[in-house]
Amino acid sequence: MYGRAILNDMARSRVITLTTMLFVTAAALLVSLAAILGVHLSGAIDTLMTRSETPHFMQMHAGPLDQERLEAFAFRQEAVAEFQVAEFLNMEGARIVFEGGSLAGSVQDNGFTVQGEKFDFLVDLDGNPIQASQGELYVPLTYGQAGLVKPGDEVKVAERPFIAAGFLRDSQMNSLLSSSKRFLVSPEDFEALRSLGSLEYLIEFRLHDLADLGAFEAAYDAAGLETNGPTITYPLFKMMNGLSDGLMIAVILLVSALVVAVAFLCIRFTLLAKIEEDYREIGVMKAIGLRTGDIRKIYLIKYAALAAVGSLLGFGLSFLFRDALLADIRLYMGESETGFLAPFMAAAGVMLVFLVITAYVNGVLGRFRKIPAAQAVRFGISQEKPGKKRSLALNPGFFLGTNTLLGIKDVLAAKKLYATMLTVLVLAAFIIIVPRNLYHTISSENFLTHMGTGKSDLRIDVQQTDNIAEKTAEIAAAMEKDPAIVRYAVLTAKSFKVLRDDGLEQRLRVDLGDHEVFPLTYTQGRGPVKEGEIALSVMNARELDLQTGDSLTLIVEGQEKSMTLSGLYSDVTNGGKTAKAVFTDPSAPIMGTMISAEIADPSLIDGTVAAYAARFGFAKVSGIEEFIRQTYGPTIASIGKASYAAGAAALTITVLITLLFMRMLIARDRYAIAVMKTLGFTNGDIRKQYSARALFVLAAGIITGTILANSLGEALSGAMIASLGVASFAFTISPLESYLLSPLLMGLAVIAATVLGTLDAGKIRISENIKE
Amino acid sequence: MKTILSGENIRKSFGEGEEKNRVLDGVSVEIREGEFTAIMGPSGSGKSTLMYTLSGMDDIDEGKVVFDGRELSALKEKDLADIRRRDMGFVFQQPTLLKNLSIMDNIILPSLRDNRKKAPQLRDKAESLMTRTGIGGLEKRNITQASGGQLQRAGICRALMNDPKIIFGDEPTGALNSTSAREIMGLLGEIHRSGTTILLVTHDIKVAAQAERVLFLLDGKINGEYKLGLYDESREDLKAREEGLTAWLVERGF
Repeated sequence: MYGRAILNDMARSRVITLTTMLFVTAAALLVSLAAILGVHLSGAIDTLMTRSETPHFMQMHAGPLDQERLEAFAFRQEAVAEFQVAEFLNMEGARIVFEGGSLAGSVQDNGFTVQGEKFDFLVDLDGNPIQASQGELYVPLTYGQAGLVKPGDEVKVAERPFIAAGFLRDSQMNSLLSSSKRFLVSPEDFEALRSLGSLEYLIEFRLHDLADLGAFEAAYDAAGLETNGPTITYPLFKMMNGLSDGLMIAVILLVSALVVAVAFLCIRFTLLAKIEEDYREIGVMKAIGLRTGDIRKIYLIKYAALAAVGSLLGFGLSFLFRDALLADIRLYMGESETGFLAPFMAAAGVMLVFLVITAYVNGVLGRFRKIPAAQAVRFGISQEKPGKKRSLALNPGFFLGTNTLLGIKDVLAAKKLYATMLTVLVLAAFIIIVPRNLYHTISSENFLTHMGTGKSDLRIDVQQTDNIAEKTAEIAAAMEKDPAIVRYAVLTAKSFKVLRDDGLEQRLRVDLGDHEVFPLTYTQGRGPVKEGEIALSVMNARELDLQTGDSLTLIVEGQEKSMTLSGLYSDVTNGGKTAKAVFTDPSAPIMGTMISAEIADPSLIDGTVAAYAARFGFAKVSGIEEFIRQTYGPTIASIGKASYAAGAAALTITVLITLLFMRMLIARDRYAIAVMKTLGFTNGDIRKQYSARALFVLAAGIITGTILANSLGEALSGAMIASLGVASFAFTISPLESYLLSPLLMGLAVIAATVLGTLDAGKIRISENIKE
Repeated sequence: MKTILSGENIRKSFGEGEEKNRVLDGVSVEIREGEFTAIMGPSGSGKSTLMYTLSGMDDIDEGKVVFDGRELSALKEKDLADIRRRDMGFVFQQPTLLKNLSIMDNIILPSLRDNRKKAPQLRDKAESLMTRTGIGGLEKRNITQASGGQLQRAGICRALMNDPKIIFGDEPTGALNSTSAREIMGLLGEIHRSGTTILLVTHDIKVAAQAERVLFLLDGKINGEYKLGLYDESREDLKAREEGLTAWLVERGF
């Protein structure tokens, strides 16, 4: 009996049924996708890291190395399962030439290596360790993806020809966020190249039990072994591998939560409208003795059917989209061994969506109990009692006119009803503004100052080469004479030991120089200006448990030197563990230098970058825009795309919900509309009243949404960005977009939807709605 | 006396196909200026529909309705709304007041649309109408804070605000107790004596007996007309009119 009634009902209200189903489908689709991607991502990372036998502890080191001492240390440590020292031959980007061009402009440290002896394998696309033959070169996948090279191409490395034999997956350095990339060659070729680049060592350990990692790190530090370079541990490798796809999954989950929320609102609207429409029938059913539960069942079945169809559709569709979204994960990390679990997890997620929606419908239907049968049968419409409240007087002097005022009065009188629409508009404003703000923030040059780098036009890095000091001085001298350069600053990175409270020593990479020329943004306090001051990256401060104003002891030139902590800053460079100070210590070895410069005329930046790059082949020269483009380019681009998609989705939701809401209001108000018509109000008058309601709610929604986007949205984005190592975060807002374009677009969407939604007001016949 | 409202051969059906139900089947009627007419008939005879078509609130399938020299079926929605607002007043069985407005605002609402700048005068006029109808002092009340009878009077005040040429009433005393009903009819009588045309739909003989003439509607057709003449407001007159009307109606099988 119910089946036919439900089908008839759905056919009668096609738009509403379709819209509701659309949202349920979208929610199920997204949840299912997030589950599938999540299972595959975590499984694929595990598989890759297991097959590659990724080191648990890796110390990069430039400079002389005492292999025997390291072996002895590894032997003494019970926690160590395997130990090896891998060589990484740094090569200038300009000397690696693909058929399509060289890596001269690359901000990555590109280097060559041979296959791992015992572990840390570079694997092929089937997940097997690669054995490179002489003349063969295996290229990091990233470059293949960027279209620079394809298998079979000739690649010239320092004039020597190689054949690109294939691509490699590198469980350590796959991610764009990782600043180095490894090329694999045969041992013979490696020996031939050895003299053409600068050598760096990867001192690698695998432990019996990862739980011992903390203790092992401390022991390595305490043993005073090779430490001239960053230290990276297994959890960090894992995080880097998971970060970009993990962020995508997080965004999908966030969006699906929003879509579920919108689906709820949609259902709430349509259900309340339906109850209003069927008020008399519900009364009659009650009057003839049907139980509330029986009546509820009729409605529940319809929505459960709708939710079931939507959920199944979403689940099915997720398998269509699955492969496209999994492509990246599969390519960079390979198949997941737990992949077979994905459909089950997806089904569980979709089931959850279905259950949550059904439970929600059941909750909304609870109001059947409150419908008084006699009143419903008699009036056929709910007789709400507004109660004793101050009602806004109709002030004829009101500059916007009677219709506008009537609209606003209705909103104020039924705040609860309009709160639902307000929520949608606030959400929409939020969804439009936050991603755009995020985009502007990340693409702004100032963002760099939140990431451990000052804002300059040109940046030159000198590292992994010999005679760093002389080479740096040479560049500085050239800049001194260069009229195009307004000012420059040299920062020299050196490694010092810190005495910890527990008596142990820890290494600290300190950038020495004048930090006032190209200042960072400090989370707390300020940069170092005096000899005895030091600023720490947030990660270091957290590890050393220090606050601004605290002091710490450095070992400088063999002496203990007490430093005051002047401030904290976020840093994403060098594993997030850096420090800044102004003192000098000529005796400590230089890890590297960084020269920043400001160029007088912005139009000269590209030319100057090219000139310095050509002149100082040993250095890595980058314009700041190029640096941002290469390092964060893909992230910025995907956030940009996501922000447009989010904006379009939010506007669509706004239109759909406003449309539904207006139709519901018209259904609810058909009696009041009929009364207005008998009093001589035209259809145009009535439309004006409804537009006033919508615009009033819209204004409130935009204002609240904008405020929330710039406060809560900033905090949320800050939390997301914090995963990239940035602790302090403030939005860079584009006033044109946030305060003009987005309200304008939302306004247009709402007006269009209101006009469409209130067309039915004209069809309301006085006689049918007023007749007793 | 000049004819203010006329219907000529009005036909009106609801539904389609097999479910089509002809409610008005060639009704012709003439209402003269200043006249008080009641339409009676059994349930489903089409009396409310006749009133709605005559007031332009419902369209007709065939025929012609002319109000004050203008054919209503030829007018646009906007012009019909103007006529309803300026020249017609409506009183329904339930007080059709809007719940978000105070009683005063409900009364001035239709007049306000055209006379926003004359608001103080409108309020004065509304106040005097409220005093005249016995609800003075309720101006600022919410509609939930007034009785059914008081709301019906407010509805009458609203109908009178624009000095309409005609007042339509659809069972205006149907939802009231006998005291309130008597008072409302007294009020309508007074309005009629001041020169306003009144057309009422009712199935209450007591109400219809106060009209000058009664039209009897049966199965969508005018079945007969009973002339009562002017009511002198005495109990005796009312009794005599009721008896005469009852006898006439019984003859028609009512």
